[in-house]
Amino acid sequence: MTDGEAAKAEVEALLALVTARYGARLDAQQRDGVRKAIESIVEQARAVRAVRLGNADEPTPDFRAYRADEPAR
Amino acid sequence: MSLDPVFMPLRELAGHLRAGRVSPVDLAETFLTRLEKLGPRYNAVVTVTRDRALAEARRAEEEIAAGRYRGPLHGIPYGAKDLLATGGGIPTSWGAAPFSAQQFAADATVIRRLETAGAVLCAKLAMIELAGGMGYRQPNASFTGPVTTPWSREAWSGGSSSGSGAAVSAGLVPFAIGSETWGSILSPSSNCGITGLRPTYGRVSRHGAMALCWTLDKLGPMALSADDCGLVLEAIAGADPEDPTASARHFRYAADDGPRRFRFGVLAGALEGVSEDMLAAYRRSLDVLRELGTVEETALPDLPWEAAIRTILQVEAASAFDEFIESGGVAGLTAPEDHFLPYARDAVLAKDYMKATRIRGVMAREADRLFERFDALVAPGRLTVANPLGQEFRGGMRGTARDIMGAVGNGAGLPGLIVPNGFGERGLPTSLQLMSRAWEENTLLAAGRAIQARTDWHTKHPPVEP
Repeated sequence: MTDGEAAKAEVEALLALVTARYGARLDAQQRDGVRKAIESIVEQARAVRAVRLGNADEPTPDFRAYRADEPAR
Repeated sequence: MSLDPVFMPLRELAGHLRAGRVSPVDLAETFLTRLEKLGPRYNAVVTVTRDRALAEARRAEEEIAAGRYRGPLHGIPYGAKDLLATGGGIPTSWGAAPFSAQQFAADATVIRRLETAGAVLCAKLAMIELAGGMGYRQPNASFTGPVTTPWSREAWSGGSSSGSGAAVSAGLVPFAIGSETWGSILSPSSNCGITGLRPTYGRVSRHGAMALCWTLDKLGPMALSADDCGLVLEAIAGADPEDPTASARHFRYAADDGPRRFRFGVLAGALEGVSEDMLAAYRRSLDVLRELGTVEETALPDLPWEAAIRTILQVEAASAFDEFIESGGVAGLTAPEDHFLPYARDAVLAKDYMKATRIRGVMAREADRLFERFDALVAPGRLTVANPLGQEFRGGMRGTARDIMGAVGNGAGLPGLIVPNGFGERGLPTSLQLMSRAWEENTLLAAGRAIQARTDWHTKHPPVEP
């Protein structure tokens, strides 16, 4: 499978997921709009996946253990 | 009132108020009348808060007369983007028809801070529905109609802080509060020819503001000059127990820090896709910047800046409005594309989202490293001047154009400033944007003041008949 074919297969799989969840709410034009949006999402995901990171490169969301009797920070 | 307060710099207006030459009640009445008469022309206003404004103005009048002067915003009218909660029965619509009658019990922290500073809330200002988080692609995406720039009835104000931009530009309020997740302060400031400041992420509490993306949302001032923005930022910045992301770092506006030289950087890729008229204005601005210091080209590492931040934005916005989207509530929104685009967000996979948040950490470090060599990065404010009302627009947030400054600035949480720098196609304002290191708003504002001391674009106002 070429890279382009793999991307297309991914779009179809994700479109099937979105259609299964929300298809009843979408007309043909809206389904086409959703497909284009998913194509864009797959393209950006492939750009994100292509970045090489180290094991220690942490995510940015900043969770802190919580206690009601202590200030958040 | 013998003095004309419309388009007057805040510092000058404050001097008249403190000296008793201008009455806060008369001043509020002047701007309330403009909001009521001229606001509909631009679709800029959701709610004129007349009763609250006059009550606050009367209190300011009594306090100033009694010598209890609170500072440079005491008695100054302003407007707030309609995603900031206001108590007292004043609705907070988030720009969206399904929420048009929504009310909150208490004011947002920013509204409370401005009240403490003595400012007078005169209006809740129009905005793109849900701050654009559902993916809108054209100006008609507010339940109050598309907001126009006061420079043309045929061109968009920008968004999502649309009414904040138009109201300041048309002299309906001396300053306004906007919010930015990606471009929502900078875009309307550019399209409307005003000065807008996006503070560092965490500089201003977001408590009581509609959440779109918890790790990207910022609140900031939109006004007529960098100096005005500095005065407002000092009043609204600071820690807030109600918002754990609000930093305890103290911000004091350094308005009198004297002349200095700046090191400006021009980011590779920042000119990609920029229109000829914007580029021409930008080149003229570079001549001004060279009078103020050095200008050097620079570059960031090859990372998917826009794609990573777009991934985070799509996921957080879909989660913030999960119940609304799942219930089918999006069908009640104004923009046709907002009826279906939110459903596509389910296609973002969890591992890709997490990877984007890890890349974001790398991006923040790389961006910070750049500021070892520069005080500010500069670029054209937007790709184009305000686009026509009926036209789809392009942008980095939508994946249809590059926006390296927007992706870096919002992704790394860096402060940004828009200053007007001329006029382009169809006589519409052009702009310059500057971005600095985290927590360096005073550097940005100093650069903005220096530019505005050498140019007069910020003193140009659209022809507005009362």
